[in-house]
Amino acid sequence: MDTRITLSKRFHYAVIALMLFGAAVIAYGFITHPERAWANLLLNNYYFLSLAIGASFFLALQHISQSGWSSMFKRVPEAMMAYIPYAGIIMLLLYFGMHSIYHWTHEDAIAHDELIQHKSPYLNVPFFFIRLVIFFIVWTVMTRLLRKASLDEDKNGGMLYFEKSELLSKIHIFLLAVTFSFATFDWIMSIDVHWFSTIFSLKNFVAAFYHGTAVMVLIVILLHQKGYYPSLNKSHLLDFSRYIFMLCIVWGYFTFAQFMLIWYANIPEETAYFHERWHSGFKVIFYVNFAINWFLPFTLMLSQVTNKNIHVVKALAIVLIAGQYIDLYEQIFPTILHAPVFGLMEIGFFAGFAGLFVFIFGKALASADLVPKNHPYLEESLHHHLH
Amino acid sequence: MNKTRIVGVFDEENSLLAAVNEVKKEGIEINEIYTPYPMHEVIEAMGKKTRFTTAAFLYGFFGASGVLAFLYYTSVIDWPINYGGKPTNAFPSFIVVTIILTILTVTIASLFTFSARAAIFPGKVYDQPDERSTDDKFVIVFDKPGVDGNVEKLNAILKEKGALEVYEKELNLKK
Repeated sequence: MDTRITLSKRFHYAVIALMLFGAAVIAYGFITHPERAWANLLLNNYYFLSLAIGASFFLALQHISQSGWSSMFKRVPEAMMAYIPYAGIIMLLLYFGMHSIYHWTHEDAIAHDELIQHKSPYLNVPFFFIRLVIFFIVWTVMTRLLRKASLDEDKNGGMLYFEKSELLSKIHIFLLAVTFSFATFDWIMSIDVHWFSTIFSLKNFVAAFYHGTAVMVLIVILLHQKGYYPSLNKSHLLDFSRYIFMLCIVWGYFTFAQFMLIWYANIPEETAYFHERWHSGFKVIFYVNFAINWFLPFTLMLSQVTNKNIHVVKALAIVLIAGQYIDLYEQIFPTILHAPVFGLMEIGFFAGFAGLFVFIFGKALASADLVPKNHPYLEESLHHHLH
Repeated sequence: MNKTRIVGVFDEENSLLAAVNEVKKEGIEINEIYTPYPMHEVIEAMGKKTRFTTAAFLYGFFGASGVLAFLYYTSVIDWPINYGGKPTNAFPSFIVVTIILTILTVTIASLFTFSARAAIFPGKVYDQPDERSTDDKFVIVFDKPGVDGNVEKLNAILKEKGALEVYEKELNLKK
């Protein structure tokens, strides 16, 4: 069972090709359309960060609930978390693009806009970056500690690390709830500086958890089809599908609640947000967002037959990769660019970041045994059986 | 039906399951199994399959469409009123009501379906071969006429798999 994954030459070539293509497009983008490039940088970096955060939350939940069934897969979310420090470094680059993305950094806006003046004790560039650094330090430290406890368990065994992981996870989800909320306020909600929504951070947190889990499931299935995880069975698939099903409902609930309350109350300062997302060609995206992230998984995952079908779950997870992109596109692009754009630049940025994410993920996954050795519930996980 | 039954009482679910599997291998028909809590293995072993989820799905589907149709009829067709300039077909505001009423429909319809299928109604006297099955014992019941010449063998199997008691009793059960 103690197989380590080996990264093939093909994997390296593919990842490097993606990153080179991405780098070329990114360079071209910053020279020709800097505003669009900054929006893409924020979107894609946040996208892969959210997958890492979602995976870390999934892992923490498994530890806290002392779940047995998932213990053999825990190296996958652990490896996904490895992206967090790199996302932090890229996020720091936003310093050079603040003016393109955030209206509240403009001098004349601060001078003439009372609301921005009112918010400026919180929304100012130095404090923005102080918070950003704090968030990433917290996340990096917590995920490293979780990873270290897991690797130490492989080496030494015993119940100590199991209990330690649980304690760390409890601290992690508490810190995550606070820091990630402010992070979404800072990076995404402040693009529409006049608008605010109290459910915003919850919605984005659930989206991160949702799509992080979906990508994790996709990776597990791909590894299974490559011959790793031979003991993955229908019961594991059913549990994974239930996670996706449950999260699609919570995502739909929060996203709809945010929209419905604003639509119903019809207060101009709040509806401005959706006005921008309904009347400049973005309306299709608004509906596609609900269709892909809620309607499709909800109807598809209702039946246990589809839940246990590896091809259906895999296809759905692939669709959900696009789902998170569309969700973020709808939140980030309308205010910065005012008209829907999608072209080589969006594809190139996504390819570049995907290459980087997969590269970091692959390295992290290959650096430890794919199946943890001394987890107390490992046997339960290997012979997981549901009725 | 009033018949002579053979009743086996077990202390543990694992020994009950072992006995069930062994008895099935011998081709002896089980009348019924009584357990203190639901056991999926028992339902599977007795070759029973529930269609309850299908029923619940249909209730949900028709509940949701019915509620939406009702809301549309009342607020668009029958009595359109202008609420603060909102369109009469205020679809987003229908959703919450639809979710709540769908859950209510599924719950109540499922309750009645279950009661009807299990023949449970207020004031019913429950068939209880051995009252300890409501406490901590697992009880398995066979028809003596159905077992025929295998009574000795059956007793031996039940004893071997760890039955606390095996006894015969006149019982009036559904089957």
